[in-house]
Amino acid sequence: MRYEVTLDDRRVRVDLSADGRFTLDDRVVAADVREIVRGRQWSIVLDGETHEITVVTHDPLRLDVDGRDVRATVIDERALRAGRGVVGMRTGRVELRAPMPGLLKTVHVNEGDTVERDTPIVTLEAMKMENELVAPIRGRVTKLNHRPGTKVEGGAVLAILVAE
Amino acid sequence: MLVANRGEIAVRVIRACHDLGLRAVAVYSDVDRDALHVRAADAAYPIGAAAPRESYLNAARIIAVARRAGCDAIHPGYGFLSENADFAQAVADAGLVFVGPPAKVQRVLGEKTAARRLARTVDVPVAEGTDPLRDAAAARGAAREIGYPVLLKPAAGGGGKGMRVVARDEDFEAAWRAATGEATAAFGAPALYLERQIAHARHIEMQILADRSGNVVWLGERDCSIQRRHQKLIEESPAPSVNESLRMKLGAAAVRIAERAGYVNAGTVEFLVEPTGEFNFLEVNTRLQVEHPVTEMVTGLDLVGLQLRIAAGEPLPFTQDEIVRRGAAIECRITAEDPFAGFVPASGRIAFVREPAGPGIRVDAALFSGMTVPSEYDSLLAKVIAYGSGRDEAIARMRRALEEMRVAGIPTSLPFHRAALFEQDFIVGRYDTDFVARWDPKKAPDLSDGAAASAALAAVLARRSRTEHRAVATPDDPWARAGREDALR
Repeated sequence: MRYEVTLDDRRVRVDLSADGRFTLDDRVVAADVREIVRGRQWSIVLDGETHEITVVTHDPLRLDVDGRDVRATVIDERALRAGRGVVGMRTGRVELRAPMPGLLKTVHVNEGDTVERDTPIVTLEAMKMENELVAPIRGRVTKLNHRPGTKVEGGAVLAILVAE
Repeated sequence: MLVANRGEIAVRVIRACHDLGLRAVAVYSDVDRDALHVRAADAAYPIGAAAPRESYLNAARIIAVARRAGCDAIHPGYGFLSENADFAQAVADAGLVFVGPPAKVQRVLGEKTAARRLARTVDVPVAEGTDPLRDAAAARGAAREIGYPVLLKPAAGGGGKGMRVVARDEDFEAAWRAATGEATAAFGAPALYLERQIAHARHIEMQILADRSGNVVWLGERDCSIQRRHQKLIEESPAPSVNESLRMKLGAAAVRIAERAGYVNAGTVEFLVEPTGEFNFLEVNTRLQVEHPVTEMVTGLDLVGLQLRIAAGEPLPFTQDEIVRRGAAIECRITAEDPFAGFVPASGRIAFVREPAGPGIRVDAALFSGMTVPSEYDSLLAKVIAYGSGRDEAIARMRRALEEMRVAGIPTSLPFHRAALFEQDFIVGRYDTDFVARWDPKKAPDLSDGAAASAALAAVLARRSRTEHRAVATPDDPWARAGREDALR
């Protein structure tokens, strides 16, 4: 699974394979990663240097990195693709489609809402992962096709936005 | 012993009680039920709502708790009721022992202009200044006479609260109004007086101890010049700028003032020392000081333990000649304040704490991971104290300790302290009360590539831990092994 991570104003691409191998910005790294406190703290030895990272808050994600406070965001590839898989940009009418089959977990907006770009519209659960699909443009939500708890097919139109 | 305080000082006093085999009773406000001092004590009683006036300043309720809990004595710590003569009197009237000087001594020394008059009678130099001032017009006239800049100070004050520097005549009225308001809010007394503002002065204070039989000793000085808004951030002993002859003079002056005042228990006599070595008496703090540990480190004495012994009527167990000072100690006050935003106070949840330890390091704190720092009280989170055989060793250990320390979740003064210990002025010991004002809050350096890479990995793992239940990497997967082996190559 590929992720795009931002750390304050810095961007790192992370690829995490099933066997625990990490790729950072397309470089394979041998990182000794230990989870010290479940889901909250890791000790990481990377290139012989030791680092300690603690989750300060999960939402929004804030990390203590070797004693420094860092704001982080994590976007996975499905959300990235979903952002790109938009049609009708030119007409001002934008369909938000499911990038893969999954369970529509949460709908974050109501029809008629005006949203900023990157506002979470829905959360889609697929392969045990939750993926936030965000508004690709600033606009008004004119249609929400599915209710939370619905199983949706890959490519299904989940929401329609009209640029404002 | 009832400990009428909260935070690190309550824990410190509880420890001293336990060292002497005394039971310690804590009191707590509604927001402090989880606080460490409650858990460190043998018993704990709720005393009211979070606002200090409802709880830690509620003298009647605290005395009622002390009687109900069967206490013999009350230790006020610092702040709150520690310099409140009425409280000291009420404690005595209730048949309890107040750990500190008696009310009548507190009254004389607590009124700052009376303390200045007392100092003059025993030939201790006092900064040019006034008695309490009638009104803004009289004060302005006095300010012109002394010459700007002047310092407006609450006569009932202490701890730097409500003090204001006035640089220009046209600013005087506004400063007077603000200072009157602050003095009323902080001390319940609006009276103000004026002092000449001494530029590039060092704030040097002398620790004293006095027993009930009239024996008074001085233990040594502390330099507390590194302040912002008249609140101290770093203290050390010995003061780098004080030589043995000045030390003896300051000690003797402090003892003369204490003797004249009939002082009992631990106290601190504050002076401003000019670059020429001339000194002026400022005030007496009739209580234990926040920074008392630096004196404990260089003298090897337990000041709180001695406070308790004196309060119990024991004589001082040593004479002036038997006091030995060795090495150097520095204290950093780690506060919940953002040094990159003008030290604005912060409150909130601390996600993770790690206190430093190791050779020469002492931490007085009441911190734990997951705690919430309330917004109602002082911003002090922890005191890190470093001891060394000399000042260089103390500095090296302090730098190391500050790097070890973690307080994640709210802004703290740690970045200031880490930087300050590398400032040339601090290293050579040539700093004064303008140190913090001159400090440039440079943005923290960028994350190293390795730290950024590790943080990115952890960010992904943190995200996955929330959305996925299976473990990402088993502890001994081949990549982890390779990582360790790589490091040894």
